[in-house]
Amino acid sequence: MKHAVISCLHANLSAVEAVLGDIDRQGIETITCLGDLVGYGPQPNEVVELIRDRKIETCQGCWDEDIIDGLDACDCSYPSQLAERRGHMAHQWTTEKLTDENKEFLASLPTSIRRGRSLFVHGSPNSQHEYLLPDMDAFAALERVEMSGADTLFCGHTHLPYVRELGNGSIRVNIKNASDREREDMKMTLPIRRIVNAGSVGEPRHGGVNATYVIHDDIKNDVEIREVAYDIDRTCEAIIEAGLPHVFAWRLSNGFEFAELAEDASHVCER
Amino acid sequence: MIERWALLSGLMGDLETYELIQKDLKNTRGDITLFVLGDVVGPDKNCDALLNRLVNPHRGDLKPHCIYGWWEEQLLAESGYRGERKADALRLNKGDDVVNALMNAVDPYYLGWISSLQFGFVELDCGLIHGSSKDVGDILTMQTPPLTLLDRITRLNVNRLFTARSKQQFHLELTDAVVDSKVKDLNGKRNQEHTLPKRAVIGIGAGANYTLYDVGSDQTHFLTVGDVTKSRGRGFA
Repeated sequence: MKHAVISCLHANLSAVEAVLGDIDRQGIETITCLGDLVGYGPQPNEVVELIRDRKIETCQGCWDEDIIDGLDACDCSYPSQLAERRGHMAHQWTTEKLTDENKEFLASLPTSIRRGRSLFVHGSPNSQHEYLLPDMDAFAALERVEMSGADTLFCGHTHLPYVRELGNGSIRVNIKNASDREREDMKMTLPIRRIVNAGSVGEPRHGGVNATYVIHDDIKNDVEIREVAYDIDRTCEAIIEAGLPHVFAWRLSNGFEFAELAEDASHVCER
Repeated sequence: MIERWALLSGLMGDLETYELIQKDLKNTRGDITLFVLGDVVGPDKNCDALLNRLVNPHRGDLKPHCIYGWWEEQLLAESGYRGERKADALRLNKGDDVVNALMNAVDPYYLGWISSLQFGFVELDCGLIHGSSKDVGDILTMQTPPLTLLDRITRLNVNRLFTARSKQQFHLELTDAVVDSKVKDLNGKRNQEHTLPKRAVIGIGAGANYTLYDVGSDQTHFLTVGDVTKSRGRGFA
C-alpha cells in the first residue's frame, strides 16, 4: 500500500491544496503530516482547518509547539538577527490570527507517530527543533533511527526532501575494565536503517519553487520524492495583503533558502 | 615530566576519602591536574566540610577543577536555580525524604559556588563531563550501545569522553567504524563510505575509586584509595 507523507505546510494554502490534489489523483488514501502547519505563511487557520477536515494524522512541529507554548521561534537556521526578527514577527502575527479552536488542535498533536517499524516526527526523535540534514554525520544519523526503535524514520523540518539509507556498517569495541587485566574485543555489525525527509509543502528550500512531499510504497519499500507546482502568486499576494514581511513572498517566488544574506555571521542562537 | 589528570567523582560529602585521594596524589609522579566531575554532594551526610575544602584548598592540596553532577543538579533545581523546575528526578526516584535530606546536607552558603560550576570541561581533545554531552543524568556504561557512545562523543566534537555518572571504571575504545550512506534527493543519488578515527569513552569511577590518565600516552590507570602506596613498582609513585 502507498501512503503519502507531507511536512512543513507553513500556512501556505495554495501549496497544501495542490499537494493534496496530487495525492488524491494517485488514489492514495493514507496521509501522514509531520507538522509545522503554521508559520511564515498567510493562511494558518485555513491550513489547520483543511488538515482537520481531512482527518490527516499529524504530529506537532516546532512552529506548532512554539505558537502554543508562547515561545518565540528558535529556528537556529536564522542566518541573521534581521531574519530572526522577521521570524518573530511571523510568530506574533500567527498567534494573533489563529483561532482558539485551532490552537487547541495544535496543542493536542503528538510529538511522534509510530506505525509498525516506522516512526514519524517533525525534526528528530530527540527534538522538534533538531535538523537531520542529508549530510549530517552518518553515525549520528544512524543513532537517531536506531535509538528510536524504528527501521525507517520519517522527518521534516529541514525543508530538504531526501531519502538516506545507512547500511554495511560495523564497529570494533575494545573494553578495558577496572581490573586492568580483563579485555574484551569485539566487532559489531551496525543496523541497516533509513531516514526519509518529506521536504516542505509550504516553504520549499531545495533550490526550486515547487512544493515537495514523499510517497512510501510499503510493499516495494520504495520512496518517491514528489515535486508539485502550485499557484505561488496567490500565496505571495496573500502574504503582502496580510502585512507579513514582503521578503517571505520574495523567497517563495524565487525558491531561496533564506530571506537574505547573513548580515551578522556571528549570530548564534543561544536558546 | 609526565602530564597526568586525576579524575574523581561521587564523593557525596566524604571529606575523608577526598583527603586520602589528595594524599595518594601527593605520592604520585608527574604534573597532575585534578578534575572533580561532580556529585560532591549527596543526601547521606553533611557536605559542608568537603565543600569548604574544595572552595578553600589546604596548602599542598592539588587545586580541584570542579564541575557539577547529578546530585548538584537536583540540589540547584530544588533551591530555585533552575527556574520552575524542581528536583523532580530525585523526588520521583527516592521520594520527598531524600530531597529534604539533600537540602539539609548543604549549607545554603555554598549554593552560589555550586551554581557557578560548569557542565563540563573540554581539555585538548577530551570532554570531561559528569553524565554525557546529552544530559548530566545520562548514564554511560560498558554496555551502552556503541552508536549512543559515538553520538555523545560527536556532540562535543572530541575524541575521548570521560564520564562519571555510571560509577564504573572502564576504558572503551571504538575503532574501525564504517558505514555506507546512500542519499537520494532532487539532484540525484550519491553514495559515500563514512569512517571515524578512534574514539574512546572512559568511566572514571566514584568515591574511593578514581582514575589517573596519562595525557601523553593515552593510558588510563584505575585506582582505589591507597593503591598508589601499594603500587610504587607500577610507576605511579
